Amino acid sequence: MENNSSHKENETFFAQWMEGEITDNELKKIVSEADYLAFHKLKEGIDALAYLEAPLNKSFSSIQNKIDKKRKSKVIQLKRYWAVTVAASIILFFGLFSMLNNSNEIIITSISEQKTIQLLDGSEVVLNADSKLQYDKDSWEENREVELEGEAFFKVEKGSTFTVKTDNGAITVLGTQFNVNSNLDFFEVVCYEGKVQVNNASNNYLLTQSESFRRINGNSVEQWNTDGEEPTWLDGEISFKSVPLKYVISALEKQYLVKFDTTKINAKTIFTGSFSSNDLEIALQSVFKTMRIDYTKNDKNEYVLRHNK
Amino acid sequence: MSNQSENICNAETFNKLFQTYAKDLKGYIYFKTKDVDLTEDILQETFIKLWDHCDRVTYSKVKSYLYTVATNIFLNHVKHEKVKKVYQSNHVKGSTNETPEFVLLEKEFLEKIEKAIKDLPPLQREVFLLNRIEKKKYREIAEMLEISVKAVEKRMHLALIEIRQKIGNV
Repeated sequence: MENNSSHKENETFFAQWMEGEITDNELKKIVSEADYLAFHKLKEGIDALAYLEAPLNKSFSSIQNKIDKKRKSKVIQLKRYWAVTVAASIILFFGLFSMLNNSNEIIITSISEQKTIQLLDGSEVVLNADSKLQYDKDSWEENREVELEGEAFFKVEKGSTFTVKTDNGAITVLGTQFNVNSNLDFFEVVCYEGKVQVNNASNNYLLTQSESFRRINGNSVEQWNTDGEEPTWLDGEISFKSVPLKYVISALEKQYLVKFDTTKINAKTIFTGSFSSNDLEIALQSVFKTMRIDYTKNDKNEYVLRHNK
Repeated sequence: MSNQSENICNAETFNKLFQTYAKDLKGYIYFKTKDVDLTEDILQETFIKLWDHCDRVTYSKVKSYLYTVATNIFLNHVKHEKVKKVYQSNHVKGSTNETPEFVLLEKEFLEKIEKAIKDLPPLQREVFLLNRIEKKKYREIAEMLEISVKAVEKRMHLALIEIRQKIGNV
């Protein structure tokens, strides 16, 4: 019985079943009952193992966040009424865990959450969803420096040099307004006021008002002009200009608790447009309808994307 | 200073306690709940409770405190009608699943899988780990390894058959 699943050269059905591309019922038709049960148990075991072996830092930051939220009940989740609540929600952060790394202050936003942070000098940062901002309180006087993973909009008070460090490069300014989006291999800086210097591994770029800089996946640098006084995501609209679809999809995953299966589409297709961060259905329509892509939910609650014919 | 390092309300100590106990506690909860999401909830709630009561818990008793709290939260969850249903439907196969023997069996089973994964041929193991542990899609793996999606799927397919043969019928 055991070798009923004896392998033929080109078979891949177990692989597809693991990823939910083949349903349980379909698998039942291909393999014997005994094999089906064994593989089912095996899948459960593998999932359990993957979960038990997964690093714990996500759990810890989530615990940290929840504790933070309890203590600082004033931390307001800005979603819909951003414009109205902005004034009220500027909060000084003295996080509970500030002792953790000496005087390191860490602010984390979860999926679909935005936070407004006022820094010690009065500079203001709006942190977009699923992002992390970190700075050292003690050396702030000498050294205005923050580390960013993800996306944030900065309004910097005039003063000494202010530096934003990211994995993709550093941004240095004196006093200005700008947006930084550094997610994996996607790096974009838009200057809304004043002057901004972008330093990455190979080069320095100077941006003045309404100039933008972008580098995706190590490709060559693009520069263009932006209109508008602040990023549209502050008002609940996430917009893109000639961006490969995969980054748009990962932005959707940051704004909503959703997952996408992109194996059936060309995720490198270029997208220009925007989506709402308040309404998932509208957001899905505005991204995928225009791209002529169908989205259907599978049994794992993922949206499977397919080009429509 | 040893005072400070045994003060649970100290964030650094709290962090250390988490690093020390979280993994085993997670396993303990998982074998009770058999549900990844519920396990994560209980794990987090347990440590938040510890933080809330950090001034009342004795440092030397942290471990038993954590396990007791986790067990209690779990039992409360089970009481809750909705969760109860999920729990039962997850365990239709036997009513003896809470016995130590069952837990041991489960552990043995997972250990067998772990060993079988380690023994996979390197190319299959690579694909398997990228997909199952790193949660990469076959398409992403194909791009990373510069092979076709079909080739990735083939390796995964063979890896699963290999593992299943190693662990035998269960």
